[in-house]
Amino acid sequence: MSNLSAGALVLLAAWGTLTGMDLVTFPQALLSRPLVACAGAGLILGDVQTGLRVGVVLELFALDVLPVGASRYPDYGPGAVAAVVLASGGPWVERLGIAALFALGFAVLGGWSLIWLRQVNGRLIQQGAAGLAAGDPGAIAGIQLKGLAGDLVRSLGLSAVALILAQVLHPVLPGGPRFALVTAAAVGAGVAAAAGGAIRAAGRGARLRWLVVGTGIGLIAAVLT
Amino acid sequence: MRSGFVRALWRLCSVQGAWNYERMTGVGMGHAAEPLLEDLKSADPVRHAEASVRSAEYFNSHPYLAGLALGALVRAEYDLVPGAQISRLRAALASPLGALGDQFFWAGVVPAAVGLAILGVIAGFGLWAIAVVLLLYNGLRIATGVWALRTGLASGARVGAAIGESWLPGAASRAGVVAGLIIGLAVPLAADWLLDPQGLAAVGIAVATLLAGLGAAWRLGPRITAVKFGLIAIGLALILVWGLS
Repeated sequence: MSNLSAGALVLLAAWGTLTGMDLVTFPQALLSRPLVACAGAGLILGDVQTGLRVGVVLELFALDVLPVGASRYPDYGPGAVAAVVLASGGPWVERLGIAALFALGFAVLGGWSLIWLRQVNGRLIQQGAAGLAAGDPGAIAGIQLKGLAGDLVRSLGLSAVALILAQVLHPVLPGGPRFALVTAAAVGAGVAAAAGGAIRAAGRGARLRWLVVGTGIGLIAAVLT
Repeated sequence: MRSGFVRALWRLCSVQGAWNYERMTGVGMGHAAEPLLEDLKSADPVRHAEASVRSAEYFNSHPYLAGLALGALVRAEYDLVPGAQISRLRAALASPLGALGDQFFWAGVVPAAVGLAILGVIAGFGLWAIAVVLLLYNGLRIATGVWALRTGLASGARVGAAIGESWLPGAASRAGVVAGLIIGLAVPLAADWLLDPQGLAAVGIAVATLLAGLGAAWRLGPRITAVKFGLIAIGLALILVWGLS
């Protein structure tokens, strides 16, 4: 186990829960984006640089998917927060790839848990059918609040499991300069994800032209700096 | 109605709170409508009960633009528009508001904001870059929410025309162009930032993985998601490196 204080763990669990809820239910204020979630975790851990590095890698993957309505999408927040715990306290170059793998696994788990929550909400609708048919504001509010509570429990559960696993794995993580290659694979896969998403979203119009212009400038800047 | 505006706006922040496959955001809309319908309760209790039933029926749109529909539907209830017509208006608004919101926010403003945050972080502004982007994004989101509810309440059944004449359709198409430029800039710089302290071997692995990812996306299409490819690629790299060490 890594030696995080109880206070830090509680803060991380609370932050992970908020990032999980932010994706769909409340407040949808961009807190669930991996970069924001990881930056917050880095701040809590006192290791902002690691938080930002993990956040940027995961953000490349997240740029691939739009969280549109009824579609299935990964829930990055809670796993991203725990991934910063996993990557912190060591050379980020060696740990970033493993942390990204960990966070992606939890993002999939988070996506599944959203499907489950939506089914639970459907059952709440059936249970409250009489109140809804009567236009009872109390029944409507009851279903709404239970839905929010359900997402709170889902996000808290996901955060708790991810944080516990990160705490357990932290001291036994393999290390050494070779593991920078795992980080490189994560960066390559992230860039492929972001590029794929950007090309798909661009279509064939003005957006594609500006994407090409931006990429050209970005590549030149990357080479020159 | 005026007294319930702020409460309705607040409740719209969690309009997807009870999202489900039957009514989608219907219950969230009903919950947000309740403060706006309070005046109707004393004036016409029967109409209020009917309006409450309708307010929680099936609905789905972009969450930030749900206020346009909410305001329009509540206004129509106060204007005593026939119930069947209100239900048709509700159904008619769902897809356009979903498409506009997805185009403006999800495919435009969000990637642009995230790209700006990445660029700020790379430029060395750290947490400040993220704080500023969060502030700007949420400022825009709140302003849009206020505008949407106000416009809906003012327009009622004529909300479709009000949306068409507003800033939103033009901004939705422009936001995508800005997002394309910013993402195009941010991705290569992010890769450089992450790979900079590593050697040529790491750069080679990253480029090979990138090409494999693009190839897989081209050959397999939606069957291979970014997350799935990431899990496979990073997992394989980990197994190989662990085996060699």
